[in-house]
Amino acid sequence: MASSDYSSPYGPPSSPDGHSSPIPNTDSSPPIPPSTNGGRRRRRRTPTPNPNSYQTPTRSSIPPTSPLSNTFSTPRRRGTPSTPLSASDAGDEFSDPADPTPVFVWGTNISVPDVNAAILRFLRNFRGPHDDPDSLEQGKYMRAIDRIIKSEAGESVDVDAHDVFDYDPDLYAKMVRYPLEVLVIFELVLMDMVARLDPSYEKHIQPRIFNLKSSVSMRNLNPSDIEKMVSVKGMIIRCSSIIPVVKEAVFRCLICGYYSDPVLLDRGRINEPTRCGRQECLALNSMTLVHNRCSFTDKQIVKLQETPDEIPEGGTPHTVSIIMHGKLVDSGKPGDRVEITGVYRAMSVRVGPTQRTVKSLFKTYIDCLHLKKTDKSRLHIEDPMERDDNSSTKRTASEDDSLDYEDKVEKLKELAKQPDIYDRLTRSLAPNIWELDDVKRGLLCQLFGGSAVKLQLGTSCRGDINILLVGDPGTSKSQLLQYMHKLSPRGIYTSGRGSSAVGLTAYVTKDPETGETVLESGALVLSDRGVCCIDEFDKMSENARSMLHEVMEQQTVSIAKAGIIASLNARTSVLACANPSGSRYNPRLSVIDNIHLPPTLLSRFDLIYLILDKPDEHTDRRLAKHIVALHFENPESIVHDVLDLPTLTAYISYARKHVHPQLSEEAAEKLVCGYVEMRKRGNFPGSGKKVITATARQIESLIRLSEALARMRFSEWVNGKDVDEAFRLLEVAMQQSATDHATGTIDMDLITTGISASERMRRENLLTATRNLVMDKMQLGGPSTRLTELLEELRKQNSFEVHLNDLRNALATLMSEGIVSLHGDSVKRI
Amino acid sequence: MVGPLYDFVANPFGAVRLSFEQAVAASPAVDPVAAFAGKDWGALDLFRDFLLEKGGLSQVPILDASSRQWIQPNSLVRFRGMVQDMLGKELYIGAFQDGSNWRTNKYSDGALFPMPAGCQSAYESNLWERLLLHCVPVPGHNSWAMHSTPPQVFRNVMDNSMYEHGEKRQRDEEIDENNEHGGSPSSKKQKEGEHPCQLNHSSQGSLVQGGFSEPRNGASLSCVIKMYDTPECDLKLNDVFEFIAIYTFDPEVVAYKEDADDLMDDLLDDPLMHLPPSKVPRLHCLICRKLAIQDFVSSPLSVELPSMIKGIRGSLLSHLTQVLGNDGLAGECLLLHLLSRLRARVDAVSVGKLSLNLTGFNGETASIFGNRITSAIQSLLPFSQYIPLTVDYLNTATLQPKKNNQTGRLIPGVLQLAQGTHLTIDESHLQPGNLDSNGVHNARLLKKLIEQLSVEYDFEFYTSEMTADVQLLILSDGKSNIMPADLVLPFCPNAVNSIANPSPEELQSWRWYLDTLRSLPYSSQPDLHQMLQDELVAAMREDRSLGCQQLNRWLTMARLISVSFGEEELSLEHWQMFKEIERLRKERIK
Repeated sequence: MASSDYSSPYGPPSSPDGHSSPIPNTDSSPPIPPSTNGGRRRRRRTPTPNPNSYQTPTRSSIPPTSPLSNTFSTPRRRGTPSTPLSASDAGDEFSDPADPTPVFVWGTNISVPDVNAAILRFLRNFRGPHDDPDSLEQGKYMRAIDRIIKSEAGESVDVDAHDVFDYDPDLYAKMVRYPLEVLVIFELVLMDMVARLDPSYEKHIQPRIFNLKSSVSMRNLNPSDIEKMVSVKGMIIRCSSIIPVVKEAVFRCLICGYYSDPVLLDRGRINEPTRCGRQECLALNSMTLVHNRCSFTDKQIVKLQETPDEIPEGGTPHTVSIIMHGKLVDSGKPGDRVEITGVYRAMSVRVGPTQRTVKSLFKTYIDCLHLKKTDKSRLHIEDPMERDDNSSTKRTASEDDSLDYEDKVEKLKELAKQPDIYDRLTRSLAPNIWELDDVKRGLLCQLFGGSAVKLQLGTSCRGDINILLVGDPGTSKSQLLQYMHKLSPRGIYTSGRGSSAVGLTAYVTKDPETGETVLESGALVLSDRGVCCIDEFDKMSENARSMLHEVMEQQTVSIAKAGIIASLNARTSVLACANPSGSRYNPRLSVIDNIHLPPTLLSRFDLIYLILDKPDEHTDRRLAKHIVALHFENPESIVHDVLDLPTLTAYISYARKHVHPQLSEEAAEKLVCGYVEMRKRGNFPGSGKKVITATARQIESLIRLSEALARMRFSEWVNGKDVDEAFRLLEVAMQQSATDHATGTIDMDLITTGISASERMRRENLLTATRNLVMDKMQLGGPSTRLTELLEELRKQNSFEVHLNDLRNALATLMSEGIVSLHGDSVKRI
Repeated sequence: MVGPLYDFVANPFGAVRLSFEQAVAASPAVDPVAAFAGKDWGALDLFRDFLLEKGGLSQVPILDASSRQWIQPNSLVRFRGMVQDMLGKELYIGAFQDGSNWRTNKYSDGALFPMPAGCQSAYESNLWERLLLHCVPVPGHNSWAMHSTPPQVFRNVMDNSMYEHGEKRQRDEEIDENNEHGGSPSSKKQKEGEHPCQLNHSSQGSLVQGGFSEPRNGASLSCVIKMYDTPECDLKLNDVFEFIAIYTFDPEVVAYKEDADDLMDDLLDDPLMHLPPSKVPRLHCLICRKLAIQDFVSSPLSVELPSMIKGIRGSLLSHLTQVLGNDGLAGECLLLHLLSRLRARVDAVSVGKLSLNLTGFNGETASIFGNRITSAIQSLLPFSQYIPLTVDYLNTATLQPKKNNQTGRLIPGVLQLAQGTHLTIDESHLQPGNLDSNGVHNARLLKKLIEQLSVEYDFEFYTSEMTADVQLLILSDGKSNIMPADLVLPFCPNAVNSIANPSPEELQSWRWYLDTLRSLPYSSQPDLHQMLQDELVAAMREDRSLGCQQLNRWLTMARLISVSFGEEELSLEHWQMFKEIERLRKERIK
């Protein structure tokens, strides 16, 4: 016995000897070629094949492809191409069976001639919804068959089960209930049809059924589904290597060298002839397998696992084995989400020779008929704004199921059409933090992002929006950050206290004073294509902060280590929050003075929000009420009119992936006008002071913001309103952070240099006054004067307020000019 | 084999078989067996009657690593375990016809009577299914909670022949079995070796082990449970169950996959391949019951007078204070912490949890009080774990449960815990050092656990979040940033006193107290809301740094104080008490 290595699954438990054969003894129906007939019977009854049916030269060249072919198709296939069938013969035979009494397949309600005719009718007459039913053109499937014959490539016809259902629900029901039987007949019909259309076409055509009316959850597969056609969705988690399976074996006699006729698979086994077939030899047990004369087919076993969305809470995913044959081998890779249509089958666990007890177990698997990949997102070409959704796989999982996905997209689009979507999104962002609506709007823009532009020279313009929140402690900045971190794909949350910007590995350090342990992580690199949330930005080390300069504009991180210079991508939006250096924000000082951040870095933030804690009874009460309710009321009764987190993330990721807005004419014009307007504001007529109210960075920010706003509406065009809103957002942010408190105007110098124009003017005035004073009152090389005296004098001469510090600054400038020398408190002219 | 009054304990199959035959005979249908697929034919009623009505439950031995050696195969056992992994479904021939008699294979591994060859093919209608679970002893199961049931008289029936299998052999196999768990034991051993500082203390050796999800009493005993007729939705990962089941175990059985010629078995195989019947016993579950903490705690004299509860509270508090070196405030906080429980999740907020971080543990205090605290907690709660956090530990430990798709098994991680487990994380030994990617990942998992009480399980292609209602106590030098707890309290012991050993009665009442009050329902009292709101608003005005989180904690603590007095409603008095505690705490932080 040469045992083929896949004996058990093909030992057809479903069609055991004789009685439950899918195809009945059809001797009585003359149109079926006798050889086919004989072949079929032989499969069931005779363990050794009848040699005279092996004479067709083509047989071994036909690769068996169907999972069922091992049991059913081989004998039939052998018969058909070789049997000369006239076209007219084939055309009529099935529709007009000679035998009036229907013959049923044992145990089923299948009558072979009826099903045969039904399939033929379906193939010939089915017209898709787009076909003209009266046209003389051929139907969908006839065209498909034609195509296959012409191209000579195909070996299978994809048959949409919905089409079958629409045309003949009864056939559909039979096919799903008795797939083994019906598919064999289907195949037969196809064979005959092809043979009639092109008798020289030698390839074997199989029907591949897909798109069943209903698909089963893997969890719900149960014994009653066995031997039925099922369709399951899942994710491939493992693929075996390709297993060659003997299809036909050839034996050689060791004594006389006689080659046997090919021996066919019989119930999963190849029976080794015990006796040499040559009359002259007839040696016993002399036959040996000749490997290179056997024909093989490919097989592969694949494990399919439930997709995460189908797993109930607290459960683990189920898996099912899928057996792929022929062309289907390697059509799916681990990680692919697929929909499998196949026949659910069971096989008994083989009883080992050493086993005492009889195994009552069965293993189940699905013989795959059709594999459809449902995961389309993999096909996307890399897009600079596209995000991988590692952190929120749950959502992707459900998205990728094509039907659900379509559904969801529809829903999202519905949502996008609502006029108040902008407000709704704003409300849905961190719903348990009140007020701060404009800040939330800014954060939303950051989540949606602008479009990155890649210029031809290789430089690129970032699409990410960076935001800095500055504010008093306890104003829920950190919560906003946490929330953003949760929302954004690949977000990284880090505290400035322990961030080494580049480090790819992390480091635990201990604060020597407090004994607090701090985790250092390489946040920026890790958050490539995400939002990097940096808490306590002000406490970040100089070193790490300097790294951010590069990240925030060039979006790369360069590392020079051990002679290797590497530039890593860090295409990340930075959301930072900082506390003022005093415990509270001092409104008299500029942002820079308040947080001690270098202006160069500050200017890289698109939006800077000041979150000042204005004691507000109303807000406090709302918060208190919410918290009390949280603890003392049924949590379900607390309802927000907001989008839930999964919907919000789905909305954002869809927008980021699929919406790429462009500036409309109107928007572009508005941008230009608005920018010019902003610049103009700095020129006060009649005053010599120049205030820069906007810089080129601002216009870039404005473009990004308006693009993000258009994205929120799923709109491909940025319109005027978006631009207006972008201006408003920018102004709100600037008003808070870049307003010169001395004059009440916006002054970008506050951000870019940390000194407002009015302040600069004041300093210049003081400097001139001091210089004059020094020139007037003090003699070259004369005695030194005390600082306080100078201060008194200045105050007397000038109308404006002078501080000691200001004076020191002025004197320092004079010192650098070489006019005075300053020792402690005494000033000397030199 | 079937006696007139079959022995349910020693020969449960007898009852199964007999009831089946009776049911078949009574059935008028042509195919009597088909009706029995997926449901009980009356066998369970027999068992229920015997076990619950006639008090047979006490005769059923509890299966654990020690009793395993003398329990006969094919007898009835009780097994308590946590659902560690769900292995899917299995199809088997439920019933077959042996001549004119119908036989069943339900509740057994194989056929007890040889199945006629023909029945293999005519199986179609009688293919039944059962669920497979992999159950392990609850991680961190404290020894007192294991023997809460009276000792068995069953030992007398011990069969010597069974005993001859010898302990040594069993041990070897168990070690092999452990190795199936993804090769973690080697790394575990290595880790244990890496903490010599802890091993110096004789009592801590076991604690260290406890931290690695190894059961404390030596060899682990995991079982494959076969569930019949139970909808899968009733079972959840990490649930603790008690199974009354038929025990089958046959060390003689050679793994049936000897012949390696079957290439395809490589993939068609099921996870059971890696849990061969010769090493892992199979249990065929008749009756199962989900266990809550109270099933491990025997209630004392069932008096629920408020004065009683007050008394128990007082004695427990003084015990905890004693353990904490007369630090009364820490004692109060620890008590509240032990009473906390996840009540609800609203948005990102987990209501009801109160993780505690005791700071000020360095060198000496850590070694003295760390031990005292953990052993006190061990004696009070049924499930508790201790994790000494070091850089090495973070880098090497597998905290996250991970699905191995090669074997189809879920490899347990340290954080795969039963609901209600107490977790002590000792950060006092944490020294500066490099974290590798695994370390960072582990730190992130821990942070997620303490913030959201959920653990991400790794399923290779995606992760899935599982809730984990655990109480977290962190012992650290300074405030822990890896594990940011709700309540941070500097620990100030003022005496290293000896602890009076609590009497068993006291322990029993404390356990009962903690469990009962923990599950006490909350009720709402609307008139108090206004007062609380005013209080919160006033507090916010006073201290602008108060955030949502702080206020949440306030209410949680106030609630827990009233719970600790056995009251469902928060009263003004308890609110004042809370304010006092908070004031003292603030003083200490300064």
